[in-house]
Amino acid sequence: MSFNWESTVFTLIAFIILYILLNKYAFKPLFSVMEKRKELVMGQLRDAEDNRKQASELLNEQKAALQEARKDAYEIIEQAKSTGSKQADDLIATAKSESNRLKDEAIRDIESEKNKAVAALRSQVSGMSVMIASKIIEKQIDEKSQEQLVGQYLKEVGDKA
Amino acid sequence: MHEAPIINLGGFNIDLSIVTMLIVTSLIVFILARLAVRNLSVENPGKLQNFLEWAVEFVQGIISSTMDLKKGKAFVSLGMTIIMFIFVGNLLGLPFGIVTEYSEPGHKVFGQEIVSVNADAFAELHDKKPNEEHLEIGVAWWKSPTADASVSMGLALIIFVIVHFLGMTKNTKAYFKSYFEPFPIFFPIKLIETFSNFLTHGMRLYGNIFAGEVLISVLLGLGVASIPALMAWQAFSIFIGTIQAFVFTMLTMVYISHAIENHAEEHH
Repeated sequence: MSFNWESTVFTLIAFIILYILLNKYAFKPLFSVMEKRKELVMGQLRDAEDNRKQASELLNEQKAALQEARKDAYEIIEQAKSTGSKQADDLIATAKSESNRLKDEAIRDIESEKNKAVAALRSQVSGMSVMIASKIIEKQIDEKSQEQLVGQYLKEVGDKA
Repeated sequence: MHEAPIINLGGFNIDLSIVTMLIVTSLIVFILARLAVRNLSVENPGKLQNFLEWAVEFVQGIISSTMDLKKGKAFVSLGMTIIMFIFVGNLLGLPFGIVTEYSEPGHKVFGQEIVSVNADAFAELHDKKPNEEHLEIGVAWWKSPTADASVSMGLALIIFVIVHFLGMTKNTKAYFKSYFEPFPIFFPIKLIETFSNFLTHGMRLYGNIFAGEVLISVLLGLGVASIPALMAWQAFSIFIGTIQAFVFTMLTMVYISHAIENHAEEHH
């Protein structure tokens, strides 16, 4: 082994120059790129985390909205059911009152018709009885009795006057 | 063993193979890194970018295992440079080697004589092996830079300086106090420990890689028969080279964390 101090000096010079050149032209840009990539990855991780949070929030919101919608739908159905039954009841009540009214009207009509018929019948019966009576009287009364009758009636009229 | 192609330039002994290999290693590391960051993309990284990012995360893992990553962020670049430089350096000597052999002195590179094959070197070799008539000296031009103690120790020296500078400036009180704990009498031992840490940090790397290269050149001497063993050893050397790059980076971060951590705070 021989030690050559000039070689040591050359080594120092070569190493220092190499260090400076590498640092300036290779490592600095490389480190900055690695740093950038690190930041990029960190940023993307953060974004992913944010997105995940947002997604879960949205999911919860959607779940709540779905629940709300379900509740609304149930309420609407319930309401519809109650309105339906109420309407049916109304209809039935209206129909009942209508039918009652019609019945009453019919009864009244029947009554009045009956009365009219009775009245008509009564007047006809009286006319007819008069006619019958006059026919019978025409046949039965002779001159003498007729005179007697006239005289009676005249007497009656005279009494009253 | 092969000699190093050293030339004398203005009073300095310059090891040309080390200079070459340092430049080659640095270039490969830099080009690799540049290719990886050529089309940087946040969302759709290329294969090389992915690989480099994996390496960065690996180094971050090493750092976070020794200290708080907030404090350690500043050392990611350092760790990346160390691990890439040592890894590439460790593997460069494995696939092939370039060796020139000289049987007589007086060869020149860039107008300068190669010191390792001058007349003195041949005379010395002749003294060692007086019976051989045909003397040859092999000079290795291509090898792992980390297989040279001066390079490994140079890397360890950088770390040593960084560690103790950080300790003195960022954690002054606890740093100096740590030399006298648990008792002031421990000061010499702590001092030895500090320097032995520095020595072992560099020598561990050098020893592992150098041993790998020595065995490769020994196996090469066996000729064709050595190919299966060579393959196995090269595979193992890749493993060793990776492990040593990891260990060197790990120890760097351990030393830094020791220096900047306030141990007094932990005892409260």
